[in-house]
Amino acid sequence: MKGENWNDLPPLVVVVGAGGVGKTTLAAALALHSAEAGDHTLVMTFDPSRRLKDTLGIGDQPGNQEIPVEIDETGGETRGGGLEASLLDAHDAFDRLVRTYAPDAAARERILNNRYYHHLAGSLSGILEYMAVERLFEVNATGRFDRVILDTPPTRQALEFLEAPDRIVDFLDSGAIQLTLRPWFRGDGRLKATAVLGGLGRRLDHYLDEWVGLDLLRDMAEFFQAFEPLFKGFRRRAVEVGRLLRSRTTQFILVTTTAEERLPDALFFARRLQERGHRLGRVVANRIHPMSASKCAADEMDDPGARLLGWLGERDQSGLEALGQLLRGRRLGAIPVLADEPTDLVGLRRVLQRYKPVQT
Amino acid sequence: MSWLAGLCQRRLIVVTGKGGVGKTSIAAALGLLLSERGRSALVLEVDPRENVHRILDTAPSDGQVVTVRPGLYLQNLQPRQVVDQLIGERVKLGVLVRRILNSPIYTHFAEGAPGLKELAILGHALRLVEGETPSGPQVDVVILDAPATGHGMSMLRAPGLVSDVLQHGPVARLTTRVAELVGDPQACGIVVITLAEEMPVTEALELRSALETELGRAPELLVANALYPELPQGAAALEGLGAGLVEELGVELLTLWRQRRAINEAQLQRLRAAWSGPEAQVPHLSLSQGRDLTAELARSLSAASGEDAVP
Repeated sequence: MKGENWNDLPPLVVVVGAGGVGKTTLAAALALHSAEAGDHTLVMTFDPSRRLKDTLGIGDQPGNQEIPVEIDETGGETRGGGLEASLLDAHDAFDRLVRTYAPDAAARERILNNRYYHHLAGSLSGILEYMAVERLFEVNATGRFDRVILDTPPTRQALEFLEAPDRIVDFLDSGAIQLTLRPWFRGDGRLKATAVLGGLGRRLDHYLDEWVGLDLLRDMAEFFQAFEPLFKGFRRRAVEVGRLLRSRTTQFILVTTTAEERLPDALFFARRLQERGHRLGRVVANRIHPMSASKCAADEMDDPGARLLGWLGERDQSGLEALGQLLRGRRLGAIPVLADEPTDLVGLRRVLQRYKPVQT
Repeated sequence: MSWLAGLCQRRLIVVTGKGGVGKTSIAAALGLLLSERGRSALVLEVDPRENVHRILDTAPSDGQVVTVRPGLYLQNLQPRQVVDQLIGERVKLGVLVRRILNSPIYTHFAEGAPGLKELAILGHALRLVEGETPSGPQVDVVILDAPATGHGMSMLRAPGLVSDVLQHGPVARLTTRVAELVGDPQACGIVVITLAEEMPVTEALELRSALETELGRAPELLVANALYPELPQGAAALEGLGAGLVEELGVELLTLWRQRRAINEAQLQRLRAAWSGPEAQVPHLSLSQGRDLTAELARSLSAASGEDAVP
């Protein structure tokens, strides 16, 4: 069968799918193809394997920078598009955000030294998704690239990432911020509302302290106050990224495997993308085991190992057919399971070469 | 004592590993295994997309405890449900509870407060094994199908984080108890699942060192899941294979098998060098998700532990 032409990709391609299906490798392969077709391309990834980093030659580079990938001397037919890669480091990106947008040195130090911020930047589970939004904005705003291929964070459904821009806007509009921004505490650290009540107020303080901890409330209030000048910018950028993810210039590529239990997930994801107004391009069924040559039924083979391999071929074949039925009218394709992850750009190139369209 | 006998004495077992390595299936198989050995076990799933009921062939849980068979239960629970339930229990006044739960400020607090959701789930597990939940079965051990490694570590880190900012009051007391439970290797076992492939093994090793440095404890068991079988003897080169096998599978599939097995062996070697402590190897099984697969996984785990199967 004739190989697929991947030259129809829009300026932003977002690769999505469940954890462990091969998103990152596919994103890198797409980026390499795009660069070799003559477009200046950036691949943004979150969690590449050591080997993929070595493959791209970006070994131990720090996160959140665009690092040029050397592709000229590897035998590829390049028309000089140029490839760059960037790894996301959420904690560092958050710090950088504060440094960039804080109005002055005092505000910056207040935030960076706040205990609540320290916990928030390091451990809140939505932070990675949020920082991905910020990074995407940053890169998009430079206008340096013809195409950006975005790998998504390793969450089971990767929906968190897509929902992040809306959630940020929603949070900033909810009134929760306004509430925390009120001057709740006096200079001496006591709650204003209760301090005027004398002894009774002290008892109320004690009660609040028992329940949620006044220290925590003080840290939170201080954090939000220190952050206030930054909120407007957060909101504006989140709205813009939300719009970008729904625009004509963005296409999603959904990666899945064909194990029976994964099929409902793939279908669910395809539907959710559509419901949320995103454009779904190809669905890629990855890691397909080939059918056994003799086509003899797996359970009739003698060797137990052969039975397993035969079964995997049968499973993936019927999984692929089922996926074709479920995704009627969509562009579906399959990439066979590779013996090993690509170790060099030649191997990475082969990933897309082995892609074959599947009738839906 | 085998690791299985050890797990039989725990009250909480946290199962974690990289996405796509079979955490939920192994968690369910451990539940089955422990319940066969007389422990009343509940498999607790946190993923918003329910899956554990398919693995154990029951109706979906939707927040409720489902009986798989006497002594084996499952529950899919969202952290928000637990936080809401706690508010309900504490505040008691229906009108007030509804007002709190419907307020956007509460919503954002419950969604966004660092560590709160993770703590809620661990707190729920603690209350289950202590018999403190308002309803539900008597449970000896909760097997928590935790989120994938990164988020799994956030979960284990949460009690320490929250108790750091919260020193007294009822929430702080619960937090302290949860932190004690998670930090005590006699009470809580951490099981790390991996495939014998580069990325999952790297994550497993990183998780191990994070556990050691941040929580001061090691995982109890490593499960190397879905291993490709060894090739028939003498099959290092294709020429050495029986003609029947080449004919049956074809060169493409045979080559794939050999290469995949070689990767498995190299990564098992890497684990052997870097991982101390019990390890169980579980073969890739030719079964789709469901009760048969779970039972077969439980048999493999039991065999790997060196313990006799329970008739």
